[in-house]
Amino acid sequence: MIFSKSMDRRSFLRTGAAASGMALALPGIARAAGYPERNINVIIPTREGGGADRNFRAFSSVWKTKLGADFEPGFFPGASGRVAYEVYMGKNEPDAYSLIFGNMGPEVLNWAMQAPSFDVNDYFYFGRVDTDPGCLFVGAESPLKTLDDVIAAGKTRRLNVGTSRMAHPASIGLLALGEETGADFNLIPLSGGKNTIAGAVTGEVDFSVLTSGSVIAAGEAVKTLLVFGENRVGAALNDAPSMNDVYGTDLPEMLSARAFAIHKKAADDFPDRYEVLSRTFKETFDDPALLEAYVANKGTPEYLNYGGPKECGAFMQAMLELGARYKPMLTGA
Amino acid sequence: MGETASILAEVFVDTIGYWWVIIPTIFLGLIVGGIPGFSAANTIIILMPLTLAMSLETGLVFMVTLYSAARMGAGIPAILVNIPGTAGAAATPLDGYPMAKAGRGQQALAMSFVASSIGGLLTTFLALMTMPILARVGFYMHSVEMIVVMLFGISLIASIAAQDMLKGLIAGFLGLMIGSIGTDVVYATPRGTFGFLELYDGVPLIPALVGLFAVSEAFIIIEKKVIISEDAEPKNPNWQDTFEGVRMALSRWWHIVWTSIIGLIIGVIPGAGASIASFVAYQQSRAFSKTPELYGTGHPEGLIAPESANNGVTSGTLVPLLVLGIPGGATAAIMLVVMQFHGVSFGPSLFENQPKIGYGMFMAMAVTYLLMLLTILPMSRYMSHVTTIPTIYLAPMIISFTLVGGFVPREYMFDMYLALGFGVLGYVARRTGYHVAAILIGVILGPLLETYFLRALKKSDGDITTLFSSTLGNILWVALALSLVLPPVFNWRRKRKELAER
Repeated sequence: MIFSKSMDRRSFLRTGAAASGMALALPGIARAAGYPERNINVIIPTREGGGADRNFRAFSSVWKTKLGADFEPGFFPGASGRVAYEVYMGKNEPDAYSLIFGNMGPEVLNWAMQAPSFDVNDYFYFGRVDTDPGCLFVGAESPLKTLDDVIAAGKTRRLNVGTSRMAHPASIGLLALGEETGADFNLIPLSGGKNTIAGAVTGEVDFSVLTSGSVIAAGEAVKTLLVFGENRVGAALNDAPSMNDVYGTDLPEMLSARAFAIHKKAADDFPDRYEVLSRTFKETFDDPALLEAYVANKGTPEYLNYGGPKECGAFMQAMLELGARYKPMLTGA
Repeated sequence: MGETASILAEVFVDTIGYWWVIIPTIFLGLIVGGIPGFSAANTIIILMPLTLAMSLETGLVFMVTLYSAARMGAGIPAILVNIPGTAGAAATPLDGYPMAKAGRGQQALAMSFVASSIGGLLTTFLALMTMPILARVGFYMHSVEMIVVMLFGISLIASIAAQDMLKGLIAGFLGLMIGSIGTDVVYATPRGTFGFLELYDGVPLIPALVGLFAVSEAFIIIEKKVIISEDAEPKNPNWQDTFEGVRMALSRWWHIVWTSIIGLIIGVIPGAGASIASFVAYQQSRAFSKTPELYGTGHPEGLIAPESANNGVTSGTLVPLLVLGIPGGATAAIMLVVMQFHGVSFGPSLFENQPKIGYGMFMAMAVTYLLMLLTILPMSRYMSHVTTIPTIYLAPMIISFTLVGGFVPREYMFDMYLALGFGVLGYVARRTGYHVAAILIGVILGPLLETYFLRALKKSDGDITTLFSSTLGNILWVALALSLVLPPVFNWRRKRKELAER
């Protein structure tokens, strides 16, 4: 910086004092100049090597080139994601150097079933990576061949329906379907996606509901009949229609939606850091390398779907409201 | 049929050409299987970038070899130092470790290798020949039937309790109580978690396993100079013990056959696994033995049964994966990801469109078991010397390795403390005459039993008579009753006959 010759001592001191005062008043801005100065820690609520890990690695491999810093994942599986969120909210500094990469659907539903020890408004999702809608599917050998078969059977007897766990967006989709059609469904939690598919294929249950990415992976063993959201992959889900199209309902998409979240205090105290994070996150979607990385890590390309804080906030709110509404059925309370 | 035979022969020859992948992977598998917490699934996940970079055939041979070798490797520390590397080997030390303590560790290892290899080979070929039929097993074995299968394993507690009824039952029920910690499988209501989020998913198996068996064992052996008993005859390295172990296993070939078939059948049921198979095989072996009282004291059949069975599971797991596209366990699920990455489609079309891939996985398993027998068996004479290492070195090593092993699956410090806690519990149990195996059976099988039981009740809206609602289930109930009632009757008749002959 070159001082103007016309700048006298008094004006120099005035300017300096103002700058110092601003720096003290807004410490975030003062310190943000070099942000990020170190790697960003990311808490992941599942085991290493799973779908979330692959998804995270694909996205962060491109995001880091925009941000200029790498991401260091830490895996905290357990209690349907609850352990990771408690660690993030309880132990990690709200300094924008730590994020959590969660699944907004099932994990937010958890809070509606049993409140965590922290205030759920103390963090927010600011960057959605993908949206994978839940779907209803039967085993290849099931006597139920069409959606009409399912509804007709559900009106004559109680159908057992596999789900990976009770508090899951796909479970809510099914309960909404039951309300809409008058069919009687009995949710049977089968502990995880593998077992939920196996349950439908082997006849342990009449059919199952699950996020569609896992159902696509099951290939010929299953047939999808209905999607609780938009069918973006067409034939890969047997051209199954969306529930809203079939029944004229206005059910929000029942999604597994992986997204990055941050402490609210970090965004408030360091707005420029948060701005860097959210801007570079969005820029990542403009880079063709993201699609390549996503596909290479077994992601379904049609599900790669940017969402900012507004979309994430609306979805989180919808999950909390639906969770509260269906809580008695999902908790047996 | 002729076409299939020629494909099989071609694939077999091709697979042998991958010896350069198989042999190093066997040793890697033995190591990761032997260290608690480092399972084949974890290792494949860690090495996934490498696996994905390999050609499909090489990647599959690598994964199948690692899976089979890790299964066999888990039995080695179970026999030598009472540390089962995985839950699937939890029944192995019941008779393997007493053999090692008696100075027969080399025999026990040789016997375990032969039983594992033959069991694995046999069930691989059985699975190949009967794949379409085996794939249907899962269609009949639902929650009601699985409840009875679990009870076969849990009834082992009663067998153990027979030695000291009160203490055996107390230990068994303590295990079941510990196994019920965590959220319930239907509504996820937390029970007995004492506010620890780390216990929401139940007591983690590996810390419980290594704590009860290994850490408590380290506390015990530190009171002695070496693991082997003072009255055991010290031996120099020799081949005789290896040959004797091989002979003992081969002379019980029928035992290997039927216990490995138990493993195969349980292996093809999605969600069931090696821990269930090994306990059920051990229980059945004991129930129909002429010398049930010898089980738990270093009886060869008590070692053969779980080792044959858990290697039978290995080939069984491939059946639902390949025929139905349903991975039966964690390792199979990772294989699914790798195969899908290479564009392989599952189901009946796999054997029509890419028969060399489908048959190739079974052949890789068969070649692995053959090569394992040839490469590992001669090493038993050296491995068995672990039992002669002074305990002042061995005990700290056991505790360090096992605590790290307890940490690895979830990477929580909490799990290391838990392993230590279980170690203290195991030590107190041993010193006061309670059987840690009875506790462990409850911890491992209790949650599984509860899962199937609650699922069956949820499906039937709480109607308890659902337990007797299926034909296959009822047949299994009768078989369970017979396997509990007949052995004491046969024993009584045999003793009566012996008395009459005197």
